[in-house]
Amino acid sequence: MSQDPSTYNGGSAVAMVGKDCVAIASDLRLGQQSLGLSNDFEKIFHYGHVFLGLTGLATDVMSVHEDLRKKTNLYKMKEQREIEPKSFANLISSSLYKRRFGPWFVGPIVAGLNSHSGKPFICGFDYIGCIDFAKDFIVAGTASEQLFGMCESLYEPNLEPEDLFETISQALLNAVDRDALSGWGAVVYVITKDKVVKRFLKTRQD
Amino acid sequence: MDAAIGIRVNDGVIVATSRACTRSITILKPDDDKTRILNEHNILAYTGTSGDTTQFADYIQGNMQLYSMREGVDLNSKGIASYIRHELATSLRSRSPYQVNILLAGLDKGDAPFLSNIDYMGTRVDLPYAAHGYAAFYVMSLFDRHYRPDMTLKDGMKLLKMCKAELDERFPVVFKGFQVKVVDKEGIHSSELE
Amino acid sequence: MSINALTKKYSYQSEADKEIEGAVKDFGHLVPGIDNMSPSISLPPISKPTAFLRANTDDSVNPDCKIKIAHGTTTLAFRFKEGIIVAVDSRATAGSWVASQTVKKVIEINPMLLGTMAGGAADCQYWETWLGTQCRLHELRNKERISVAAASKILSNLVYSYKGMGLSMGTMICGYTPKEGPTIYYVDSDGTRVKGNIFSVGSGQTFAYGVMDANYRWDLSVDEALYLGKRAILAATHRDAYSGGSINLYHVTEKGWVYHGNYNVGPLFWEIKEKEGSFNNVKS
Repeated sequence: MSQDPSTYNGGSAVAMVGKDCVAIASDLRLGQQSLGLSNDFEKIFHYGHVFLGLTGLATDVMSVHEDLRKKTNLYKMKEQREIEPKSFANLISSSLYKRRFGPWFVGPIVAGLNSHSGKPFICGFDYIGCIDFAKDFIVAGTASEQLFGMCESLYEPNLEPEDLFETISQALLNAVDRDALSGWGAVVYVITKDKVVKRFLKTRQD
Repeated sequence: MDAAIGIRVNDGVIVATSRACTRSITILKPDDDKTRILNEHNILAYTGTSGDTTQFADYIQGNMQLYSMREGVDLNSKGIASYIRHELATSLRSRSPYQVNILLAGLDKGDAPFLSNIDYMGTRVDLPYAAHGYAAFYVMSLFDRHYRPDMTLKDGMKLLKMCKAELDERFPVVFKGFQVKVVDKEGIHSSELE
Repeated sequence: MSINALTKKYSYQSEADKEIEGAVKDFGHLVPGIDNMSPSISLPPISKPTAFLRANTDDSVNPDCKIKIAHGTTTLAFRFKEGIIVAVDSRATAGSWVASQTVKKVIEINPMLLGTMAGGAADCQYWETWLGTQCRLHELRNKERISVAAASKILSNLVYSYKGMGLSMGTMICGYTPKEGPTIYYVDSDGTRVKGNIFSVGSGQTFAYGVMDANYRWDLSVDEALYLGKRAILAATHRDAYSGGSINLYHVTEKGWVYHGNYNVGPLFWEIKEKEGSFNNVKS
């Protein structure tokens, strides 16, 4: 159809806040427009205890991930500690804005718990680094409109980890089923103070 | 309008590239070789814009040979894939990006069969089977149906023959057959699709 | 056997025919001529309607066009020893938005004829239903069921008369008549009309062909053929983003078409993967 970089490969991600926990999830599809190529393309990465969902042009998803991996490793060496969610969000913002006139075509979302206070943190960005702080949920990718619809109707505050998993999974699954360029499997992370649970979801394969 | 197909099997990897080298409405060369041998256990197949393809493939080949000479060991498949991806991703934001799509086939660390699909933007996916060009639209469903993870090189060649038969029947462009190369424990050798 | 006896044998509504026979005698002069066969469609008050339509509805010309017509499909039909298999998916998309997963892409023109739908959903639905009325009128006028060749040509001539005005359809007209046997005609909005054994139409056609060509034989049993049709569409729904939903299966025999059910791709995929040991790119 069109040669728009943000929809060329397809893919979606979503993050939600619960009671003393956060969840972040993405689909697994990577395509070239209509042609599905891979069902093993995870869009969730983590840097220490901070999680990042990256949607958009797949090559930039990989490049941005590699760039942030380098930067967070240098940060860790210099500071002798892992980066916190809020600092990480600012790091992403400035990294993206540095490419203001030749941007990375990505839609990042961040989720994590502050390692001192245990306070949940989520935020999203546009592709040149404007931070969108949110208290409830953040969506990104080709099914973002569908995800907004699902989250607005399913989300409720202060969910326990198990219920948050159910909510974010249903939101993602039903959203990507209405998007031709997302789907082909999904992965969900539920992050609590003392553990991270990663689950793959069985989804439609069409 | 050329094609490159790769199949990863139990004991090796097969890559096939179309033999025709076409410019405008003429087939310039009916026995073109769109592959480069990088080191003992890794081979690169390419499709894309003329000029860019050979220039880029030669550049990668040269650097892999340099690496082997300097380090005294060959770079493994995953390393090569990362390197190629990086070169293409960097090139994408330059004045004239390389328009080359790559299939990298090899035995990772001389042991595990490895196949990587990297497009001209630097999008890398490691797959059991892959194809570049319009050929992908025909052969991917064939692979989905007939590929098995425990296939041998012999089974892989049979599957490749099915792909060729389908392309010959349905695809309007003449490929002049396929150049087939195989990577296994013994190294890299050419093979015939009869 | 007299022509009337023959007609009676092959008519599925002989009582209605009798009634109409009388009516034709009385009102025959009112039957419209070939020129009036198609309804007239009013044109918008714009100097160049075709250019306007192209700019506002054709997303291959203008990706930002506001009116998105439902696209994306996989349909197939093939001839074999025991008739014809017709299989289709059921997804309709507008851009990347999945507008519906439950579209009926096989149009039951009459109890003997099937038409498939690819391209503009409304175009196919409207003109193939219209084709049904033309086929019925043919029966009434000629006391004989229309041949697949003639039916497909009525449609082909119609779409050709609208050529360049933005009709978008790729269809297979499938039927079984005593004189033709099982017959498939491919008809599209360019005016192409070809008879053949194996066709697949739509964005997922190549994927369906891949599976179909590799496993097709003329002497397939009915069960094997139905499975092949289903499997070829499944292959396409998997790889093609714009195909999916569920699969509708039909078998066309000398007695007319038989519907063989609707299969949701969601569960069907895992069932077939498990049974065949295929789709090894997908983790279960």
